[in-house]
Amino acid sequence: MAYGRTRNRKIFLIFLVPAIAVLFLTTIYPMIYAGYLSFRSYDLAKPFVPRVFVGWANYREILTSSEFMHTLIVTFKLMVITLSVQLVLGVGIGVLTAQRLPGMALVRTLLLIPMMISPVIVGLIWLFLYFPELGYLNYFLSLVSISAVPWITSTTWAIWAIAIADIWQWTPFVMMGTAAAIHSLSPEPYEAAMIDGNSRWQIFWHVTIPQIKPVLISLMFLRAIDAFKLYDIIFVLTKGGPGDATEVLSMFIYRQSFTFWRMGVGAAASFVSLAIVVVLITFFFKSLNRSQERI
Amino acid sequence: MKYANIALAAAALSVAASGAALGQKQFEGIELKMLGIGDTSVTRLAPLVDEFEELTGAKVQIDQFPYPGLIDKIVIEASADTPSYQLMWVDSPWVGVLGESGALEDLTDLAIRDAEEINLDDIIPIQLQENTWQGRLLAFPASGMIWHQNYRKDLFEHPDEQAAFKAKYGYDLEPATNWEQYIDQAEFFTRTAGEVLAGNVLEKDFHGNAQAYSRVAGAITHDFFPIMRSYGGQYWDSETGLCAMDREPSLRAVDVMKRLVQFNPPDYLGLMWDIRTGYMERGETAVSSYWSVRTVRLTNPEEALVAGIGEVGYAASPTGEDIPQPTMTGALSFGINSKATDDEKEAAWAFIKWGTSREMMRRFAEEGNGVSMFHRSILMDPDLQERYPYYQVLLDTQEHAQRRIFHPFYADVEEVFGVALNKYMAGEADDPQAVLTEACNKINTRLKVFPVELRLRWIADPPAEIFSN
Repeated sequence: MAYGRTRNRKIFLIFLVPAIAVLFLTTIYPMIYAGYLSFRSYDLAKPFVPRVFVGWANYREILTSSEFMHTLIVTFKLMVITLSVQLVLGVGIGVLTAQRLPGMALVRTLLLIPMMISPVIVGLIWLFLYFPELGYLNYFLSLVSISAVPWITSTTWAIWAIAIADIWQWTPFVMMGTAAAIHSLSPEPYEAAMIDGNSRWQIFWHVTIPQIKPVLISLMFLRAIDAFKLYDIIFVLTKGGPGDATEVLSMFIYRQSFTFWRMGVGAAASFVSLAIVVVLITFFFKSLNRSQERI
Repeated sequence: MKYANIALAAAALSVAASGAALGQKQFEGIELKMLGIGDTSVTRLAPLVDEFEELTGAKVQIDQFPYPGLIDKIVIEASADTPSYQLMWVDSPWVGVLGESGALEDLTDLAIRDAEEINLDDIIPIQLQENTWQGRLLAFPASGMIWHQNYRKDLFEHPDEQAAFKAKYGYDLEPATNWEQYIDQAEFFTRTAGEVLAGNVLEKDFHGNAQAYSRVAGAITHDFFPIMRSYGGQYWDSETGLCAMDREPSLRAVDVMKRLVQFNPPDYLGLMWDIRTGYMERGETAVSSYWSVRTVRLTNPEEALVAGIGEVGYAASPTGEDIPQPTMTGALSFGINSKATDDEKEAAWAFIKWGTSREMMRRFAEEGNGVSMFHRSILMDPDLQERYPYYQVLLDTQEHAQRRIFHPFYADVEEVFGVALNKYMAGEADDPQAVLTEACNKINTRLKVFPVELRLRWIADPPAEIFSN
């Protein structure tokens, strides 16, 4: 019996080793190395710059930098815009597509297509649409005598242009989650609400929403974390410009690491970003727990 | 054409001579990869690399990437212990960082050894100087670069336009010699749809000017710096080695660019080099100053619509109030990865000699593929001058030229000033002096950790040692 347990444990370990090795090589080691770099002055392009231990200097530089604060503001602004629209649209479309009507499964599948496209491709699609002078959107606007909109070349419009592309891609995710949650609800509360003479809106607000709230909170936080890390679409569409109008935290980290080659500063900024995401996740789990307790 | 092919074959045969004597090709079995760009300095040559293999046995693969991000790949390649690329395309401002970090093979001795074969005396000296770091030659020109103005000659020579211009501004409509004239011309030719231009009613808006205002890869700085230099400005303070790009000439350059905004396309903040040159290539702007590497497309109807619908004229860059200033040059070149093996380095040098040879350049010209030339004899050829009217401008301007920025912290300068200037042009900042000073301070923060002696060495430009031989 004891021999069997030991043997089982060994088999467990043998099966775990590849997964642990991959995790170590692709996540744990790079993270440890990034942590090490974040306390050093390390310029990849300039080996003649002394690569020395600098303590908390990189973190100090970031946290006192107006550029970094600006990128944080832009990041949260973009997050709020995309998240709120995705939530409202996603829940709305989710409720509509949750109806058991003929062809609805096909509609749902078609609506999911943007989500399945790589963000870089999404960026390129929208680049073709937004392209100044030659873009499709401005062409269609010109057909109805509306002057061209500088979608990605105006400090006012650029952030909205990025938000629209992100909303287009990720609203289906919220829609899918909402529709799935609605499908899993039991019919009894609805029947009771209808017998009580409630309107459709009252049923939606007082029966559906409370029941799918944990799913909505999950969707919201998953999207929030993704929106916080948004990079690909911005890189393709504006590269952080015009000026620094769309310079989000990910772009800041990229610029520090691969434009200025200040790997130490880039690594420190990554850890600050990670800390913010950890706070978001903690907040998410607490909200989720509270929501479940109420249910 | 026949002459070019014979000469090219002769040059290539000399490369392969030693191997041929042994009955095998000299670089048989060697494979070279080039980290290159997708512009005329490479695209003309790329389809011909099989010919090099045929002659020498070395197989060459050229990977072409867009300019934005190319230096990132080169830096990563340079920092790797085992190189994937033996050949690197080099924009001359990168020579500082690549030179100081030892990423490029020193070509000085090779160039001196093969001076006759490469027609060293025929190459315009500034194009070689552009590729030096501390006097040593680190890359070899594949395309010369001059920042100059392109203008719609057909519009400038139209009698109605000439008369209207003179009536409005009080002087003749001719290529601008100073920036005030350039701004006048940009203003004059800015028309909206429905207005008349050279006797034709415009179907869409016509833009007087197109310059690069995008921050992407510091594109705006590539126009700002030449204008700054045309006012006599300098990048660095000669006594401290710190940023000097916040002084009077820079302010005047910012002012010129700001005043030109209203005559540029509405998407001016997104005008990268290629988008900006596209306006001239499609004949949608009257004046546009840029690097000759793209000018070469303007005579080819397959690459530029304007060659079929109008005519482009070429002139030297305007200066500040007609005060003569050296022309801003650059060079797009080929270098060798210092970590390549000795055999690979020899083969790479043979490829550079072959691909940048005078015979190859003449072949490009005769086949109709424009290249921004750097051999004096080609630029002076009367037949080619007639075919490529910009040759005379390239020739004249390079006689009195000043090299581009070549500092190891060039990437920082390009990015910091790119964002700062782009924000100012977008109207997000009001005080140009504050914008430039803040940008300079950011650069200086990074430079001040180094001793002044080192900073001064980085901005020194001793003459290329190949000239002393």
